[in-house]
Amino acid sequence: MDAASQAHVAFFLTGSRPTDHLEAVEGLGLRPAVLSGYRELAGLRYDFPLVLVANRPDGPLVQSLSGLMDEALAATTGDVHGERVRQHGLRIEREIRARVSNGATGLLSALWDEAASRLESGAEPSFGDSLRRVRTAITVDGEVADCDAALPARLLRHAWSAVQAKKAAAFRRHLDRLVLKLSDILRADFERSKAGRDASHLKASVGTGFGDAFDFDAMSHVLATTARTDAFPEARRQRIRHLLAVLTAQRFFASPDAYTFIFNSCGDALEAFRGRLPALVDLARAIAVAELEIDGQYSELRHDALFEQFGANGLDPQDLAAFPGYLVCVNAGQLPAAEHARLMEILSSGLPIKILLQIDDILEESPDGQGALTAGMRNRQIASMTIGLSDVYVLQSSSSNLYRFREHLLGGLTYRGPALFSVFSGASGAASGLPPYLVAAAAMESRAFPAFAYDPAAGTNWAARFCLEANPQRDLDWPIQGFAYEDEQHQRVSEELAFTVVDFVASDRRYARHLARVPRAQWNGNLVPVDESLSRERKGLPDTVPSLLMVDDHNTLHKVIVDERLIREARRCREMWHSLQELGGIHNSHAEALLARERRAWEEHAQPEAEAHAPPAPTAAAAGAVVMGTPAPQEPDRSPGEAYIETVRCSTCNECTTINGKMFAYNNNKQAYIADVTAGTYAQLVEAAESCQVAVIHPGTPRNPQEPGLDELLKRAAPFL
Amino acid sequence: MSPMSATECLLQMCDERFELEDYQSGVPRWCTGCGDNAILAAVQRLCRDEGLRPEKTVFVSGIGCSSRFPHYMRTYGFHGIHGRALPIAEGVKMARPDLTVFVNTGDGDCCSIGAAHWIHAIRYNMNLTVFLHDNQIYGLTKKQASPTSPVGTRTNTTPRGSYLEALNPLTVTLGVQNVSFVAQAVDWAPELLYDIVKAAYHHKGLSFVRIVQRCPEWMPKLLDPWLHDPGRVQLLHHRNGLLPGAGSVKVYTNQLEHDPSDINRAREIASNTQVVPVGILYRNPEVPCYEDLIGSDKLRTADVTRAGLNAELDKHTVWPRESHA
Ligand SMILES: Cc1ncc(C[n+]2csc(CCOP(=O)(O)OP(=O)(O)O)c2C)c(N)n1
Ligand code: SF4
Ligand code: SF4
Ligand SMILES: [Mg+2]
Repeated sequence: MDAASQAHVAFFLTGSRPTDHLEAVEGLGLRPAVLSGYRELAGLRYDFPLVLVANRPDGPLVQSLSGLMDEALAATTGDVHGERVRQHGLRIEREIRARVSNGATGLLSALWDEAASRLESGAEPSFGDSLRRVRTAITVDGEVADCDAALPARLLRHAWSAVQAKKAAAFRRHLDRLVLKLSDILRADFERSKAGRDASHLKASVGTGFGDAFDFDAMSHVLATTARTDAFPEARRQRIRHLLAVLTAQRFFASPDAYTFIFNSCGDALEAFRGRLPALVDLARAIAVAELEIDGQYSELRHDALFEQFGANGLDPQDLAAFPGYLVCVNAGQLPAAEHARLMEILSSGLPIKILLQIDDILEESPDGQGALTAGMRNRQIASMTIGLSDVYVLQSSSSNLYRFREHLLGGLTYRGPALFSVFSGASGAASGLPPYLVAAAAMESRAFPAFAYDPAAGTNWAARFCLEANPQRDLDWPIQGFAYEDEQHQRVSEELAFTVVDFVASDRRYARHLARVPRAQWNGNLVPVDESLSRERKGLPDTVPSLLMVDDHNTLHKVIVDERLIREARRCREMWHSLQELGGIHNSHAEALLARERRAWEEHAQPEAEAHAPPAPTAAAAGAVVMGTPAPQEPDRSPGEAYIETVRCSTCNECTTINGKMFAYNNNKQAYIADVTAGTYAQLVEAAESCQVAVIHPGTPRNPQEPGLDELLKRAAPFL
Repeated sequence: MSPMSATECLLQMCDERFELEDYQSGVPRWCTGCGDNAILAAVQRLCRDEGLRPEKTVFVSGIGCSSRFPHYMRTYGFHGIHGRALPIAEGVKMARPDLTVFVNTGDGDCCSIGAAHWIHAIRYNMNLTVFLHDNQIYGLTKKQASPTSPVGTRTNTTPRGSYLEALNPLTVTLGVQNVSFVAQAVDWAPELLYDIVKAAYHHKGLSFVRIVQRCPEWMPKLLDPWLHDPGRVQLLHHRNGLLPGAGSVKVYTNQLEHDPSDINRAREIASNTQVVPVGILYRNPEVPCYEDLIGSDKLRTADVTRAGLNAELDKHTVWPRESHA
């Protein structure tokens, strides 16, 4: 092994860089080679910025600026001016994106106007016309949000508010109906009371126009003496008044002094929930009682005791579903231990509290600084751990992926139990000059922070509940990307590069000392890509060293080697990704083992047999077999000669019961059976058998050998035996 | 379907339970052996098994033997006028969508004098369960030919036998726009009758069930060939339709798998006069109900009612003529 290679191996094993042969990467501003194309994000069309749509309660909650523009352009570029309008439209989109990435905020309409006025001065005359056309095709408006540290909370609050607004509207309608109906009951009660039939009240209810046309005293007298006066019991009246009081004083929805439901601490949210629980129980009880009352179903005898106990154990998730959910936004980096405990308490409590756990840094080093990513790991793993609670909706996503995950966000917000949204913002600032969007996207791409959703309401098994779809090339350990560069001879070279967690870590300044730059002259075949190196088990002295391709600010290519600590982390990361894959049904080890076993069994037994016998043609009967609803009722044991009716076939025609109502009776389905064979004669049995339209009466043999005319009767009975 | 909340479960436990007798009112005046008895038994069973509250249930009928049905149900009822059961039921449903509304009508009532209402009721597709008691004769008025009487039927109005081919209530119904549920049952197969009545009740929209019904009084032999040969009953079954019980499967061995979402096949099956198809011919839960299309969830407060009435009355008010200055 030459000296350079020895130095490489030594660095790999020890992490300490010999000064000759290897160079430090600090200060080089390196980034993974596949990210070289993303220098100027504002010039690219991608999901961000987003528009948090505020004026479309029934439309999409959030749209990407580029998506909105595409729709608007599709609607406006059908004519001869099409290409011009498209160019101008894209120009303003670029301007808005640039402004937002420089920190501009506000409504889309306002940003549009600012961008338009800047671009219009000095633009060609048709520019204004193009903008007007596109602008009229965009009907939505709302705050524009870039992918930054504030995005996760903004997006979640926005979605939460929309979900609550829908709930509140439905709840309000329900409540108004109850209040109206209860008031109607009280009013009806009053109208029937003495006061309600009083002449002055009658006069007032007729109105002014015909006030003189009636004799209200006489009317009152007639009503008092003829109409029923069954006023309801005072207890009911009071119950209804109490219900009205509870329903009108509630503070959960659309009330002037409504509670707030958004919190920045788990402890506060829990405390609020618990403090309000008695009021919540009262309201839920009032709603249930009011429904019964309105339906005329409330019975003190049956319901009083039930409602006394109501809510003693809290309310179950279905009962809670109509009430507002809580939203807590916390940052994992600033979570005191007590808050951590509260967070776990909420998640395991089944309460409808939705938690945004924002993680800005997933590469926080462990205090011993040995390249072990332990602390960051803790926050990273909360989501996976929470799945174990099995009734929590869990979503994990980088913020770059949140737009694509919008349906899952809504799923979590509308789920009836707790939800955890673990979101990596990419905004720690520790990466070498990469914007949060790229950091977040790289974390997801490199499996450092895979995206998944776990929805307990979606079904009963993993296949239904767990979704790993958002991750790129999810069948693979690491996604593969094409990368092209120019070599020293100015020839284009293309390679396929795996984007591993080491690429992600390598763009973080804090890990620079785990990397070393290999001068161009020492590039050799022993430097193998990280993914390749990971798939080799090292037995003895390593003969290869893992390396990465990176680029500097001038897009010059560098090769960088990595020490073993990082490789160990990468291996762990890959293991965790494998577990997720298995949960998501990819390379599932149980399924694969089962498959292998079945295949073996098939090869050993079934296959030779199948080849020996040609398959039988399917029989007609088997093809059209009826799937049965209810099983056949058990035939009772009968002694020979006993009279009986095939009761299930009786069509309730009354023939037999008319002949002898004691002998023949109906069961609780109104179908006839022989209730008492001693209650009549054999002659009656035979007559009934003959009259039965569906011929289900079987007279059996005569019990009394003395009965007159038996010979004749036996002949008549023969067809029914 | 979302699971029931604890509150709903507890309330359901407190619900009153009803027995078959709780739905029975009076002694039916139908002839002994009349198929209407079987229909009554099946419907009472349904009410009990579904726990239908009598005060929330309405039976509406026209005129005829079969139309006496509401008298024998201890629920709300409306014994209407000849041929008008359907419009009355529609009115009830429109005003009180919370009620369960059934309609009992005869072949004369529905297919003759009430035919226009029948067609439009199918098209309006309101959430009603309609039973056509088809005995192929005017029973109450003592044997006159009805539109469904087989050609050649001798009756008081057709002493030389009827001249026209019978009308097929199934194919007619299946031909109307917006049809959403059509089934056929026979009164002498009680288990199937019950299953079909139940499926009809659970369908949201107008469910039309033609029940071939025996009238031993005026047509004593008419249905004998069917009655005595179970092979002439064609049992329709499908996992999306009816799953007949084992008892029925055993007796009625002439079986046909039929997917009730296939309307063309349903029409074909309905047209076969050699056998009586029994089961669900057609079901489409997607057809909207008229009451949902035009109903509003706006609260009818006293003010809204007053304003609406005033607006209506103002249309007919004769205002004093404006003075010509
Ligand atoms: C307007 C009007 N026309 C005629 C009659 C006479 N009428 C009473 S019942 C009936 C026919 C009933 O036949 P159907 O509907 O088949 O009932 P079924 O008795 O057979 O059950 C007729 C024509 C009537 N009651 N009202
Ligand atoms: S005669 Fe036959 S069908 Fe009629 S009630 Fe008796 S058993 Fe039932
Ligand atoms: S006349 Fe016919 S339809 Fe009417 S009750 Fe008698 S058997 Fe039944
Ligand atoms: Mg009739």
